[in-house]
Amino acid sequence: MLKTDKLTKKFKDTLAVDNVSLELRKGESVGLLGPNGAGKSTAIAMISTLLKPSSGDVRIHGKSVLKDPGDMRRVLGVVPQKIALYEELSAYENLKFFGRLYGLSGKKLEQRIGYVLDLVGLSDRKKELVKHYSGGMQRRVNLAAAMMHEPEVLIMDEPTVGIDPQSRNHLLETIRRLNHEEGMTVLYTSHYMEEVEKLCDRVYIMDRGKVIAEGTKEELKAILSDQETVWIEFDQSYPELFKKLSEIEGVQHADVEERSLKLMIPKGMRLLASLFHEAERHGAQVTNVHVQTPTLEDVFLRLTGRTLRD
Amino acid sequence: MGAFLIKDIMLLLRDRYELIILLAMPFLLIAILGFSLRGIFSGDLEALEMDVALIVEDDEAQGIEMVQNSIDGMGLPQESEQTLKQAAESASPQTMLTSLLDSEEISGLVRIERMGRDQAEENLEAQSIDAIIIVPDGFTQSALNNMLFGASGGAQLELLAADGASPKSDVLVSILEEFVRTLNFESSISRLAGDTETVAIAGGIETITAQKSMTSFQYYTISMAVMFVLFVGSAVARQANLEQRQMVFERIRLSNRPPLLYLSSKAIAAAAIVSVQLMLLFGLSTLLFQTFAVDSWDFWLGIALISVVLAVSVGCLAAFMVALTLRVESDAVPAIFSAGVISLMAFVGGSFVPLDGMPESIRTIGSWTPNGAALSAYFSWMLDPDVHQLSGPLARICAVGVLFLAAALALFPRKGGAA
Ligand SMILES: Nc1ncnc2c1ncn2[C@@H]1O[C@H](COP(=O)(O)OP(=O)(O)OP(=O)(O)O)[C@@H](O)[C@H]1O
Ligand SMILES: [Mg+2]
Repeated sequence: MLKTDKLTKKFKDTLAVDNVSLELRKGESVGLLGPNGAGKSTAIAMISTLLKPSSGDVRIHGKSVLKDPGDMRRVLGVVPQKIALYEELSAYENLKFFGRLYGLSGKKLEQRIGYVLDLVGLSDRKKELVKHYSGGMQRRVNLAAAMMHEPEVLIMDEPTVGIDPQSRNHLLETIRRLNHEEGMTVLYTSHYMEEVEKLCDRVYIMDRGKVIAEGTKEELKAILSDQETVWIEFDQSYPELFKKLSEIEGVQHADVEERSLKLMIPKGMRLLASLFHEAERHGAQVTNVHVQTPTLEDVFLRLTGRTLRD
Repeated sequence: MGAFLIKDIMLLLRDRYELIILLAMPFLLIAILGFSLRGIFSGDLEALEMDVALIVEDDEAQGIEMVQNSIDGMGLPQESEQTLKQAAESASPQTMLTSLLDSEEISGLVRIERMGRDQAEENLEAQSIDAIIIVPDGFTQSALNNMLFGASGGAQLELLAADGASPKSDVLVSILEEFVRTLNFESSISRLAGDTETVAIAGGIETITAQKSMTSFQYYTISMAVMFVLFVGSAVARQANLEQRQMVFERIRLSNRPPLLYLSSKAIAAAAIVSVQLMLLFGLSTLLFQTFAVDSWDFWLGIALISVVLAVSVGCLAAFMVALTLRVESDAVPAIFSAGVISLMAFVGGSFVPLDGMPESIRTIGSWTPNGAALSAYFSWMLDPDVHQLSGPLARICAVGVLFLAAALALFPRKGGAA
């Protein structure tokens, strides 16, 4: 129902979004995963008709939004990365204002406000000024405001940035429920792969303006089907040993931490023999060895050679 | 539209900082300036009526005779001698003083009664009079000596006031000082010209009568009101900047409402706030300081008319500032406006000092500021409630408003589309 076609945005000399083609089907929950500066927010601004693309197109139900953004705006609920609310108004007053912008009034307006407040679990504190809310509560109102006009598609730009685990879980659970129980189509942007992994059926991975991989979670992880991640923990830090292990032939990537080491190796490679041999030589004691199934983080690592938080 | 308006007004009412600037500050200034500058506006003088005793210890006839005698002893040519003697007789400083005190301007202010010294001092003690003016012995003689021969010293008057330096006696002192100065100065002129016929009571009291019947409270209530309505413009623009920075503006765009609705709501909200602001300032000032008469419907109708026109014009100014602020995406616009431009506009508009003494160019510029034009409209209505005299300033206020509105529409980012 929603498609972008070679969407591109150039700011002076940065190519923020580079030929991005995405698709959202009805009822789907799609993740847009990428590190800081990948171009996620810029892409979303263009999809939501707030920013004019340098080239490319955005279509809703087959119609381009460039000439007439109205259709898209009616269908879309946008949760921006920033808290887009009046701090000096209460949650209730904010929702009332945004509801009235969409032509709601009277009983219908009150009902809708009641519904979205219930949804984000803030009914009993709706009279407080937004500026007195915690970060997590502000994020929840930010979502509620995007829900006032019963959108078909919810687009969220890092809705969980900087909030406590409790609010985060509440928010993720709310989104999952909207998607599963109410058939809401969701585009979820984040650089937390756990969130995307938990929420989304399909994922686009963006880096430096480009989509570098797309598919269902399983499809993406299949990229790594020929390799595995071995996580080795030691009794203390052995920088020399870690360096040696990283340089063993066949190791594709090494992630060194304080007392542990993460190695990406081809499936079937016989690592353990040389591991224990080297450990013994350095007088090191291995406390734990763990072979992990790949995560989206690993996929990103494999594709870019960097971690998401780099 | 309703949604926008309610929100805009609600936000302003919640902003304590803006409320202080819009209401508390001007009111405070009205109170301070109104009280401290009471006495320089003639309207205030009505409150300063006083009863004064006049004691004349000077014998005018004797003074004149003595001066004429001394002319005799000068051995002047016959003709000059005659002229000088005549001049001494007609100059008559005492008569000048009485006619000053009896003049229309002063008699409304000071009730004079001649009496003897003992009785006067008794009355002053009993506070049934406020002051005593004494024309001392030799007044005529020294005045004439100064006048005709430029003899040093000149004439002097004495004043005894009940309460040292009250505003009341201050006024009397300044009137008398002015008179004595005029007397001694005029006399030196006539001496130079050798033409005593020109000696007359001249000058001296204009400063007091120039601003006919306006009190300091009236002056400052009006001038502060027209100045502080301008701050509504920057308050509204600051709000727009906040909406832009906090991205609520984006949310508003997403609602797909016509963007001009947003702009017009800002203008209307500003106009509404200005109306309330003017109402409160005029109302409170009248209530607390009896600034304006409460019983004249016609008077208040005129004030309301000017206020509404001013409010609409400031609404247009606010729209212009909102458009500019959104265009440059910075709160520098309202900041510069409230820190500098308003003071400048208030100055050329005559809110700080009356523009009578200013160069023509400044007065012209001032008359084309909404505040300056409104100021002259209010003043002219106060002094002479004649609707025809309002048409000039009101037309200028409207014209400026239309200009601001046009500029606002030209600058307003048309973000209705996908850009
Ligand atoms: N208005 C702008 N002008 C110039 N450059 C911009 C502008 N907006 C974004 N950029 C640049 O475009 C690139 C992509 O930015 P964008 O905000 O889309 O990334 P993001 O994936 O949302 O990052 P984050 O996770 O930090 O939110 C960045 O390099 C950024 O500096
Ligand atoms: Mg972003």
